[in-house]
Order: sequence, then structure tokens, then C-alpha cells
Amino acid sequence: MNNQTLLTVNNLSVYIYANQRCNKAVQNVSFEVQKGKILGMIGESGCGKSITASAIIQLLPELARIESGEIIFHDSEEGDIRIDSLDKNSKEMRKIRGEKIAMIFQDPMTALNPVYTVGFQIMESLRYHRKLSKKQAKQRSIELLREMGIPSPERRINEFPHQYSGGMRQRAMIALAMACNPKFLIADEPTTAIDVTIQAQIFELMFKLKNQYDMTILLITHDMGVIAELADDVVVMYMGNIVEKGSVEEILMNAVHPYTRALLKCIPILGKGKTQELEPIKGTTPDPYDRPQGCQFYPRCEYGTDKCLEFPETCYISNTHAVKCWHHMKVLENG
Amino acid sequence: MNNSKISKLDKKMDKIKEKEEKGLLKEKKVNRTLRKFFNNKLAVIGLFILLTITFASIFAPIICRYSPGKINLTEALEPPSRDHIFGTDKLGRDVFSRVLYGGRISILVGFGSGIGSALIGVSIGSYAGYKGGLLDKIFLRISEVLIAFPQIVLVLLLVTILGQSLWNLLFIFILTGWASMYRMARARMLSLREEEYIQALKAFGVSDFVICYKHMLPNAIGPVVINITLSTAMFILEETSLSFLGLGVPLNLPTWGNILYAAQNLSILRNNWWIWLPPGIMISLFVLGLNFVGDGLRDSFDPSYQG
Amino acid sequence: MYAYIIRRILILIPMLLVITFLIYLGIELMPGDAVSFMIGPESAANIPIERLDELRESLGLNDPFIIRYFRWLGGILKGNFGYSLSSGVPISQIVFSRLPATIELAISALLFSTFLGSILGIIGALKKGSILDNVLTVAGMIGLSLPQFFFGLVAIVIFSLNLGWLPAGGRTMPGYEIFLDRLPHLILPTIVLGSSLTGGVMRYARNSMLESLNKDFIKTARSKGLPEWRVNFIHGFRVAMTPVVVLVGFRLPMLVGGTVVIEEIFQWPGMGREFLSAVRGQDLPLIMMIALFTVSAVLIASFLIDILTALIDPRVRLE
Repeated sequence: MNNQTLLTVNNLSVYIYANQRCNKAVQNVSFEVQKGKILGMIGESGCGKSITASAIIQLLPELARIESGEIIFHDSEEGDIRIDSLDKNSKEMRKIRGEKIAMIFQDPMTALNPVYTVGFQIMESLRYHRKLSKKQAKQRSIELLREMGIPSPERRINEFPHQYSGGMRQRAMIALAMACNPKFLIADEPTTAIDVTIQAQIFELMFKLKNQYDMTILLITHDMGVIAELADDVVVMYMGNIVEKGSVEEILMNAVHPYTRALLKCIPILGKGKTQELEPIKGTTPDPYDRPQGCQFYPRCEYGTDKCLEFPETCYISNTHAVKCWHHMKVLENG
Repeated sequence: MNNSKISKLDKKMDKIKEKEEKGLLKEKKVNRTLRKFFNNKLAVIGLFILLTITFASIFAPIICRYSPGKINLTEALEPPSRDHIFGTDKLGRDVFSRVLYGGRISILVGFGSGIGSALIGVSIGSYAGYKGGLLDKIFLRISEVLIAFPQIVLVLLLVTILGQSLWNLLFIFILTGWASMYRMARARMLSLREEEYIQALKAFGVSDFVICYKHMLPNAIGPVVINITLSTAMFILEETSLSFLGLGVPLNLPTWGNILYAAQNLSILRNNWWIWLPPGIMISLFVLGLNFVGDGLRDSFDPSYQG
Repeated sequence: MYAYIIRRILILIPMLLVITFLIYLGIELMPGDAVSFMIGPESAANIPIERLDELRESLGLNDPFIIRYFRWLGGILKGNFGYSLSSGVPISQIVFSRLPATIELAISALLFSTFLGSILGIIGALKKGSILDNVLTVAGMIGLSLPQFFFGLVAIVIFSLNLGWLPAGGRTMPGYEIFLDRLPHLILPTIVLGSSLTGGVMRYARNSMLESLNKDFIKTARSKGLPEWRVNFIHGFRVAMTPVVVLVGFRLPMLVGGTVVIEEIFQWPGMGREFLSAVRGQDLPLIMMIALFTVSAVLIASFLIDILTALIDPRVRLE
């Protein structure tokens, strides 16, 4: 850890208790997010990435809880804040949400309240956190919409979410998140529910946030393409564990975990033509209530041996590149 | 860990975690619906109440010392005693046995009407909803007219025309009740009809009749069962209300309602609580049990409910 | 919007016609007609048949069915509902004199249950799983399960006969002028009539609130760092209440027929009680007319509520 780290997550475990069962959704996850950078978190549906994100901002569903581990937010003014030790709805946590950490969600249509105008929802945040007057809040909201690229913001401010187009709604949600100038933005699959053509616009917006506002972003996605476009650093998750992490070049060019390799191989590349080889990953993800022993990927892995019944330790390939696999050297050799 | 207070939820979670780690929870191959139902305390209590009262009524001849119709004017209006558990009424009849025998009729009418209107409503609703066309439209209009009448008004109207008797009442209830079952079954069919497996069955040439009754109906069973429970509750309340007013089952056959008919008399109301309180409580308990069970079923069949 | 109203009217009118037709059919099928009613069987036996027939002819009683139907329908629209068999009083007079009492009772029960039910339902949702929630849920179920007449009897015994706090029946006493004087008479019937509706509204409000609190925009509101009360009320409650209001709107027509039992127990001088005595006295014209009146009232009220719903929620207009 250096003083460029904004968020440190240490051995975080989150369990979900639905239907009277215990699902160990996230187990011993550790990573760091560097200031001013975009960390991409990639994995299939159900791998635990959304849960991890929700844990950071303490917005876990009622039937889930943080079992163990630390979440430390390195605030420049107030020093280190142990988020996991704060009560979910305490005053401190609520101050952090919105003012220091903000989150945007996958589907802006359902994430915005349908009966209130967009302006009202943005102003709400401003008046509560910054104690602005109604007039000041309105001014600032119009500014925010404009900065996020929404045309005629003075009119838009009095409109309802369903009157906006898909891309605009996402921008509105980002404006909402940005209202109180947080340092850290968690984006949970922000482009999944949007047309591909609009995705590019949102990417641009994210770049703008990073470069112009010096934002640190945790970007959650299941799309390698998004990672390639936006991420500076990458964390790969499978079945609740981080299997590999590193810079985006290291991961895309030099992945050493079998799962990451397999993931990269089964994605079609636009323009490469129909002769490109796509290799789907054999097998299916295991039942979370009936997990395999040791490494979770072992049953589907072509490099697996008996050693894999023992859960792999973290190995560092470089300063920034780490992997949890006993056979990563073999994978490296295979090129 | 965090320094927050250990909440009730936390304790529950800890227990589940322990069990899971010991591998105790894996074996549950029990039907999820059943498990959810029996986890629901109210539903189980409701089931218990229903079964108790129903069996007591069925086995009334064995349980009761006195026949419900036996008149004994010398022992009229006696408060509860060891001899007569619920005391006696104006004609010296044993209230306890009247309540138990009365249960037979009330439960019969309620449940019979519930099942009857379900049978008719669901069979017509499924086929008409699935096929559509003229038949569907005709029944739809008929059901709309029936539903437009406030139920009591329609029932009283028919009672006036057809006269009072037990079978008439059953008939009237089923006649006024099938319409809502029909609408519900039809709505379910309409949504199931668009499912892909139905298209697949059609492509295979399976006959409409078989598709409708063998493949689609089982998927609609859940709401139907819930509806039967709740409509039975409604019918029991209706029958007892009518009998209380003297317009339901004729007075020679005791039902919970017409035992309460005696309570219309102010002096009985004031002085002889044992005549009207027990049957009233019986009705309330039975209907309450039905409501608990109906609610429990509703939660069990709901896939998004997570226990 | 207008298209929607027209469509609704086009459904309403045929329904009303069908209902009036059925009712008229019922009247026709009854033994006897206006003449035998006017004259009475004994006297009719003494009058030669030709004279009776002349009378019938002059009254237009031998005209074809359809013509008689429309004449009757016309009479209804002019306010002529015929005469009560038992009292000879014009039915319209009976209906309109009794109507205010029933409406007063129905509306007060509706308002009472809606407010109480909504508040309790929301409290239950907010304190989900707590002891209070469980108690409220069971109380609501009891309200739904208790037969209204039984509850009425118990209420009368406790509050009137034993405690003497409230009057046992009737709507008013001689000398009571203003509403406030009459209020004690209204309290018990309102509570009893509203008991099952309160249970229903409570459960519906609770479910609606829970559903609303499960929605994504609640997560967004929390992520803004807003305090819980604001999340629950400004966001959750506001969205949860719309379906509840619609539900209540739909229940209003139901109350029209449902006051029968309560009016009987509390001696409330409304249409329900009138209907009941008509049934007991086999007063067929009165029975038919009240039935017709209530059904039409329900249909028209439903129609108005449909229009109101479309005004509030634009999505409905597309149906």
C-alpha cells in the first residue's frame, strides 16, 4: 500500500442467507484501488462482484452480511476509515455515501424513482449533504446535467425519468452520483442495459470523469471489451474468489490463470471473421451450496491436478500481477 | 468483525452458518413449497385449527352425549355445566352438540361451494381461456354480469325466487361463485398460453384438449388451491350471515349461523352468552384458520419469497 | 383520453341494458300483474273478465313484451320505480329516503378503514418481522375472519349493554340536529363494517410497501446517503400508496351491497335494511328495484373510478 491507494480491501468475506441456507458468496477477497485510476472487476454472473461492490458502500441486501475482513477507505482529510466497522445506517456511513463514495447501477430506468422529477432527485442529495438552498441546488443541478452532456438541462430538470432516453438516463444517474463531488465511484455494470452505440458515449463520459475530475472508479462488468476500453487495472473473479489481478496490459496480454485465459479465448473479436476459433469453457459453474473442494475452477480446468484440491495461495508474478493457481507457470509456458 | 450490536437477524444467520458448515442443510430434497409452508408458524396453526374443528364435527355423534335436536324444556336456558358443556338454549337443547353438528352443515356448505365453483369455474376458464373465440366471449360477458351484482344482493334475490333449503343454497352459492374462479383461471391460461413449451406441444400435434388439461392446468394449480381456501372462507361467512338473518339454511337443520339466530333477541344477547358466543367463536376460528392456511399457501407458491 | 372514456361508455351501456332486461324478465315472471295488484284477488273474482280485460288493454298491459319493457325502462329513467307490494308506497320514495343513510355509513366505513389500514400496514412493513408486525398481521387476519354480524353483536354487548358508552342502534334520536350529535350512533357500525376492509387494506398496504422498498430506486436513495426516514417515506411510501388508492377506489362499489347485515343489527335505516325486509315480506317489486338500483350504482361507480384511475396513471389509457 502506498499513499496513492484510495481503497484497500483485505480478506473480505460476505455470506448470503437466503431460503434458510448459507451461501458463501465472497471469500477472502483482497485488492486495492489506486487513486485516479479505473479498476475493472470482471467475472461471470454470480461470481460475487456485485456483492463485493455493495459491501464496500454497505448497501448489502438484508439477508447478507460481512462475515470477516476489512474495507479501508483512505480519505485525504480524515485519514483511514474502517467501513466494515461502521453501522449500515449510521450517520458516519451515510455521510460517506454520496459525499465520498457514490454508486451507479445497471438499469437507470428502475434505479431512478419514477414519480419524482430528475431535478428533484439530484437536488435532494445537494440539499441534504451540502445544505444548499432550493435555488442554489437547482442551479447546481442544471450545471451537473450540462457537464454530463445532457442538452437543454433547464428543461430536462423538470422532466421525469421515463421521459429521458436510455443513454440520457444513465448520464442523469451519473450526474446524481456526482452531485456532492465524491472521490470514488462504483459503477455496477453501467453499460449492460444500454445500446452498444450509446455505450461509447458513456465510456467517453467515464474518461472525462477520470481525467477532468480525478475520479477513482471501480468498474464492474462481465464484458472483456469494456475492460479493454476503460480499465487501468483488472481483478478477475470466479465463484467468490479473486483468481487473478494485475494491470490491464498484464491481464490481456499475459494472463496466467486458466480461467482468465479461457475467458479471453471464448470471446469473439469483432472483425476477425467467422474462421476465428471460439472455445467455450467446458462444464458449468458449480452449485454455490455444493462447492468443489479447493480451487473452485478445478473441475473445469485443463491444467488441474490433485494438488488443486488444496486451495491455491497467492503468487506474485510481478509487483502488480498476482494469481491464485498452482500451475500458473505451465500456463505461462503455454504462451 | 464490526462493533455493531448483535441483532436477532445476526443470531439467526450464525445458526444457519453453523448448520451449513456441518453439512446438515444439503440433504433437503423435500419439496421447497412444502418446506416453506411448514416453516410458516401461522399456516401450521391454521391447519391445526381446521383439522381439529373438522374432525370434531365429523365425529360429533361419538363425542356428543345429547342429540342436537332433543328438546327438554325443563332444562332450558341453563348456563354451562359439567352436564352441558356449552349450556342449553331456549328449548333445552344441548348447545355443545348443536355447535358440533352445526359445523357439519356450515363446513359442508362452505367447502362444497368452494370446490363446486372451482370445478366449474376452472374447467370452463381453462378451456375457454386457452381456445378463445366465441365460447370464451360468451362466458366472459356472462361472468361480467354476474360479478356486477353485489354478492349478497344476488344471493338474496335468488333465495327469494328459489326458496330456502340446504341444496338451494349450495346451488345459489356455486352459481354466484363460479364467475371469479373462471376469471382467475382464464387469466392464468391466457398468460401460460404464450409460453414456448405450449407452442412446442402444438407443433408436435398434441390435441388442444390434452394440452389444456394435462400440461397447462397443473401449472395453474397453485392459485386455484389458494382460491378454494379463501373462497371457502367467504362462503362460510356468507352462509352464516344468511342463516343468522333467517334466510339461509332452514331452522330445523342447525348451522353455526342459525344457532346465532336466537341472539337477535336482546334478552338472550344480554343474559345467555353461552348460546351465541361459542358458535360465533367457532366461525371466527375456522375462517381464521382458512385465512392462515390460504396466506401460507400463497407465500409457499410464490417463487420470490425467500423464507 | 376521450377515446378511453367512449370505450368505457360503450361497455357500460349494454351492461346496464342487459341488467335491466334481466330484472324486467324477473318482474314479468312473477305471478300477477298491475291489475291484479290494484284490485286484489277477491274483488277480481267478482268483476266480469271482459271488464278486467278492458282495464288491461287501457293500461297497455296486452302490448308485446318489448314495448312494455321499453315503457318500463322509460318510467325508470323518469324516476317511476313502481310501488311496494306490502306498503303501497312508491318505491322511488323508499329508495331515495333510505339512500343517504347507507351512503353515510358506507363512506365513513371506507374512510375509516383506508386510513387505519394504510397506517397499520405501513408500520407493519417498516417493522417487518418484529413482534409488532406479527401482532398487526394476526389482528388484520382476525378482522378479515370475524363474521360482521358476530362482531356487531359482541360490540353491542360490550360497548352498549355493559359499558353504556355508545348507543345500541338507530341512526339518530329525536332532537339531534347537527352531525356531531349523531356521531356516537355512527361509531360502532362504522368500525364493525370497516373491520374486514381494514384487514384487507392493511395487508395490501403492507405488501405494496414491502414491494416498493425492494425496488432499485430505494437502493439509489440509500446510496445518496439519505436518512432512513426519508428513504422510507419520501421514496418508498409515495410509490407504495398508488396501488392502495386504486384498491380502495374499487372497494367502494362493493360496500353498496355489503351494508345489509350491519344495518340490520344496528337498526340503521338504510337501503340494506329495506332490502332485507322486502325479502322477508316477499315484496317482489321492491326487491327487484333495489337490486336494480344497487347493481346500476355499482356499475356506474366502477365506471367513474376507471376514469379516475386513467387520469392518475397514464399507462391505463392504452388498454
